[in-house]
Amino acid sequence: MSVTYNFGFMDEHAKKEVRRSILKAISIPGYQVPYSSREMPMGRGFGTGGLQITLSLIGADETLKVIDQGSDDSVNAVNLRQFVELTCPGVNTTTHLNEATLIQSRHRIPEVPLTPNQTLVLQVPYPDPLVVVEPSEDKRKVMHGEADYARLLVKLYEDIVKFDEITISHRYPTRINGHYVIDPSPIPRWDVPKLNNSPALILFGAGREKKIYAVPPHTIAEPLAFDDVPFRVESFNDTHGNRRPCERCGATDSFLDEYINEDGSKRYQCSDSDYCDTVLAETKEAAHA
Amino acid sequence: MSNLATTIPSVWQPHTQQQAYRQLMQAFANPGQIETLSDDALLLTLATLLDGATSLADVHGLIPALDYTRLETVTATPETAHFVLADGAQVPAFAPSLGTLESPEGGATLLLAITSVSEGNAYTLSGPGIDGVRNIALQGLNPAWLDARESWNAAFPMGVDILLLAGRKVLALPRTTSIKGA
Repeated sequence: MSVTYNFGFMDEHAKKEVRRSILKAISIPGYQVPYSSREMPMGRGFGTGGLQITLSLIGADETLKVIDQGSDDSVNAVNLRQFVELTCPGVNTTTHLNEATLIQSRHRIPEVPLTPNQTLVLQVPYPDPLVVVEPSEDKRKVMHGEADYARLLVKLYEDIVKFDEITISHRYPTRINGHYVIDPSPIPRWDVPKLNNSPALILFGAGREKKIYAVPPHTIAEPLAFDDVPFRVESFNDTHGNRRPCERCGATDSFLDEYINEDGSKRYQCSDSDYCDTVLAETKEAAHA
Repeated sequence: MSNLATTIPSVWQPHTQQQAYRQLMQAFANPGQIETLSDDALLLTLATLLDGATSLADVHGLIPALDYTRLETVTATPETAHFVLADGAQVPAFAPSLGTLESPEGGATLLLAITSVSEGNAYTLSGPGIDGVRNIALQGLNPAWLDARESWNAAFPMGVDILLLAGRKVLALPRTTSIKGA
């Protein structure tokens, strides 16, 4: 027996609710809009928040790219892409950023800047940056409304006292349009500046925590920092202070993943596989020319 | 029997609404940017966004009875409705819901039917979603709406988000957009 799903798996009422939540999320940049987060045929925590946004937005003429930790080939990306292919007949999927109109991503923002015609959907495990300093959601909602982030700043200050450095490697708290502070999902610090004045709309979906929030295009996004301890991104310099290149494509301007070889030595390679492939192809082309 | 999809008007079909929603989302993400929908903007926008989980106040009775029934929405007063539809030429004579400090998404979405929206330099917009400034011209909008909007949106994050609709065209003014007259 063949089973026919509604286009996009979700029923139209569920899509409408997500769509209305997105409009409020855009209108109140950085505010976590609660929504009902329907059951999906995969566990919460496997990208259901991002997936519900993607399925609510997607149309038959869409070209979708799904990324997991920068790669189109890792298990979460492959599963979600196949699910969309199964439930959205007619939708194209791609691994090339420049072909995509809709991009769903886990833990990375692509290296190449997005365009105004693209929309980025990020999967979010923990949407509220205040949860480390305040356990009550009722109180956190008041703090967010008042833009009261004093206790979060104290937490960052305590890091500086203990370690001479803010020790947050990913999910770096970022203030949107001078008011709400968001958890920008587990993107590395490297990606945080891409939120600021982004050419494309960026949507965040937390399925388990039932929240949707947004950073509209051309909006100020400032990582929390202090005047005398500015925000800085990861350094990929070796012990001599030289920028490490990607060992596969040679790029010196991308976020690098660290791999351990069998002999214990370390190897560095682009995290964004599409970017790595593009640079590699360009290098080969230049060599042939 | 003929194909069902051809007998239901396009406005009520999921595919049309998905396309319209993407344009509405672009409109909200880029305040003042004019989107041209595939059908009458007023009805298509309502059909795209509303269902039984929402409430609507049609202040000036702009929706024909049959279409109103098809929206399957809950009727509410303009003071409490999620969506308030009004004739932009009239003066606002109600105070919409602004949400609360904790839950500002409770602020109403106002849909104002006006004569025309176009690029022009009657109003200069700035704020999130706008690279620098964006200029628009509006016809058939009573300036009292913009004054009222300013007071409704005075205490961010509370406020109202406005859609201006004229024919097939729509533009959005979320609460974060600042508007300066020429």
